[in-house]
Amino acid sequence: MRYLRLIDRFIKVSFVEEVSYRANFWINLLHSLLNLITGVLGVYVIFGQIDTLRGWSYAETLSVLGVYLTIQALRNLFIGPSLDALAGMDGEVWSGNLDFTLLRPMSIQFLASFRRWRLFALFDLLLGLGVLVYAAISMDQALSISNIAMFLLTLLFGAGILYAILLAFSALVFWSPGVMFMWIFDGVFQLARYPLGLYPGWVRLALTWIIPVGVITTIPAQALRGGLSMERLAFSLVMAVILILCASIFFRAALRRYASASS
Amino acid sequence: MPSLSNSPVIFVRNLTKTYRVPERESGLGASLKSMVRRSYQDVKAVQEISFSIQAGEMVGFIGPNGAGKTTTLKMLAGILYPSEGAAQVLGHIPWKRETAYLRRISIVLGNKSQMLWDIPPLDTFGVLGEIYSLPAAEYRNTLDELVDLLGMEEVLKKPVRNLSLGERMKCELVAGLLHRPAVLFLDEPTLGLDISIQRRVRDFLCQYNQRYGVTVLLTSHYMADVMALCPRVILIHHGKLLYDGRLDGLAQQLAPFKLVRLTLNHGISTTNALDLPPNAEIIEQENSHLTLRVDREAAPSAAAYLLDKLAVTDLTIEDPPIEAVMDQVYQEGNV
Amino acid sequence: MNHRGGWALIKSSWLSWMQYSSFFFILVFGWMITPLIYMLVWSGAAGTGTLGGLTSGEFIAYYLILILVNQLTYSQTNWTVGDVIRMGDLNHWLLRPMLPLYNPLANEVAGKVVTMIFVIPIASILAVVLRPELHTTWDKVVLSLLALAFAWLLRFFWGYWLALLAFWTARADALLALQDSLVFLMAGIVAPVWMLPAGFKLAASVLPFRFMVGFPVEILLGQISRQDLLIGFVYQAIWAVFAILLSAFIWRLGIQRYTAVGG
Repeated sequence: MRYLRLIDRFIKVSFVEEVSYRANFWINLLHSLLNLITGVLGVYVIFGQIDTLRGWSYAETLSVLGVYLTIQALRNLFIGPSLDALAGMDGEVWSGNLDFTLLRPMSIQFLASFRRWRLFALFDLLLGLGVLVYAAISMDQALSISNIAMFLLTLLFGAGILYAILLAFSALVFWSPGVMFMWIFDGVFQLARYPLGLYPGWVRLALTWIIPVGVITTIPAQALRGGLSMERLAFSLVMAVILILCASIFFRAALRRYASASS
Repeated sequence: MPSLSNSPVIFVRNLTKTYRVPERESGLGASLKSMVRRSYQDVKAVQEISFSIQAGEMVGFIGPNGAGKTTTLKMLAGILYPSEGAAQVLGHIPWKRETAYLRRISIVLGNKSQMLWDIPPLDTFGVLGEIYSLPAAEYRNTLDELVDLLGMEEVLKKPVRNLSLGERMKCELVAGLLHRPAVLFLDEPTLGLDISIQRRVRDFLCQYNQRYGVTVLLTSHYMADVMALCPRVILIHHGKLLYDGRLDGLAQQLAPFKLVRLTLNHGISTTNALDLPPNAEIIEQENSHLTLRVDREAAPSAAAYLLDKLAVTDLTIEDPPIEAVMDQVYQEGNV
Repeated sequence: MNHRGGWALIKSSWLSWMQYSSFFFILVFGWMITPLIYMLVWSGAAGTGTLGGLTSGEFIAYYLILILVNQLTYSQTNWTVGDVIRMGDLNHWLLRPMLPLYNPLANEVAGKVVTMIFVIPIASILAVVLRPELHTTWDKVVLSLLALAFAWLLRFFWGYWLALLAFWTARADALLALQDSLVFLMAGIVAPVWMLPAGFKLAASVLPFRFMVGFPVEILLGQISRQDLLIGFVYQAIWAVFAILLSAFIWRLGIQRYTAVGG
């Protein structure tokens, strides 16, 4: 209850913060549209040359992009900005303002994950869902209720996996402040714009087991087109749970380390 | 000296903190080399410090830059783990960072802000009220009272980025005191403020301390802060405790000299015309006024010598000003 | 011209940047990843046949060279010019007895050296692992290097005049982001320019962006007719001169405004 009230307060405050820079609205709009256009064109240009890419049709590949955009929008809604305030370029680990955060009488991980909201990301969410709907309509086979349910479940698990990875990457900053781990992750996460199957074997393995960003977008897209086995669904769930647990432990260790090493 | 009957609020025993810092030389070759291998050096920020503070005390924690003041403060606030030693604040071990402990302390840092930059202070206070889960009525009362004490009604609804440095410091104080902490750590609370705001902040702290008996540990480079607020000071230098006691005893103990102020009945033309006692050093000289520095023990004999040899109309012997004592300690690094 | 001062500036920028070398390596990693993705996608799509006239190995060659060209012409300096103007650091530039342009140029040269320390080994390793196919001739190499020099000139000054808009607006960096998106779409990164859909191909052949990255690579790979080559050089030269003149013009107006307002 208390945590829900806090989230409510965080959202309101973030809204006030956001509208204090009105000029940013248009720039955000420009960014969002450009992001959409470059993403869709990236797929469109390739399928201007060929019909299927290693078993993935235009619509199916587009659905992966839709999942990517949707999950990115969810991330940018609160996890991204919150973790950025902690471990980003001007974040608290750099500026030293972490002291105040550490002194809050509550779960630091909760604070670090929920305190900043970027409501403009709701517009991105709409764009992402739009791409998904368009891709789903353009697919050959009709959508079944079970496919949609499986899709939503795997999307949720994917978001959980992404959260775990982001938390772990943020925690790395405590070890070497100044290294832009999030920038590295963003680079790798770009690969998730396309189906995992498009890449050579070694890239595929790395994106499944080392930094499992491929799982985040490809599995939901497979669920949508109806090619997802129950094992894959379970795999997704187990991976999400394990990663979130590990990331939380790692994050806590990082906080302890900060307290013992920083000045 | 604190009485032994009631147990202290802050208790510190042999607290020590050692850092490892990478060494870096200047120049091209060194910067290339440091990419491959880094050498480290152990820096002892705080060495075996012990003291205790009673409830309601206001203690000045002084020492030059890099003496280890902020490090000690952070260990007591629970932000840093010590390398060795023990500490208890309000019966808690700070670095366990128990919720019950964190609710009862607060830290205000003069060079860092916990205010959200782009929105009015009132919104930041609201968030803090939720974080410390303060009941609405209590939150309202505390806020009104603090705002009233600091006289900052008019800044509550302006974005923080539009506030002056002084107004921002007032906000920091409110933010730090909203949850009514029993122990308050203040790190350079008057940094960069003009004289009148400095006084305002001091008056506020004094009043607040009297009203609620909050225990305050304060670091400041402005001795005026310490003199106005803290009957007791703890001086550390190079991480070691040099002095713990009453402020007015500091000069006596630390300055091995006294100042002799003279007024002569004639103007002074050239210095060599004066017959001064041995080892006396001229500090100031203006018309017929003269200030000399003499060894503490030699002060009476020097005064007698001066009265004997010169046409003195007035003579006083006093302790050097606290700033001068501090300057000497900081430069020499020992007592 | 104050060459001694200029050289000293380059050296000092380089030294201070080497202190942050890991920061630059990470930045460059992020910049390399997008073309790398499209290398994997296109070479995978080509499979054992050809696509748009290129085999799988030729795609790898195309993108490896593109990565080098992209890093050599990408002007990270211009991202900081706006900050320099806003924060008042411009005063230091103006107070030195040398052309203010020396400062961003020194940064640019120093930055190139630092990034190349990272890019060249990575590209070499990728070349060994992925086995690119490159058939070229010496005259193409020479022409390509000429085009590369112009590409750098054009991209630097194009970014510079955009960055100088910071004299008037706080969000000039949004325009730099827009430029990056347009480069992605039209300079041969999402796909070689000759494979773009007709509308984009037309836009790319007229607008300056292709001449910042893709053009020298096309020349080297011989994917361009003699006539298009000539026309391309003419366009490239016109745009470069235009960007230089525009920079000078905007600088003059901006300085007038800056000194009038007092920073």
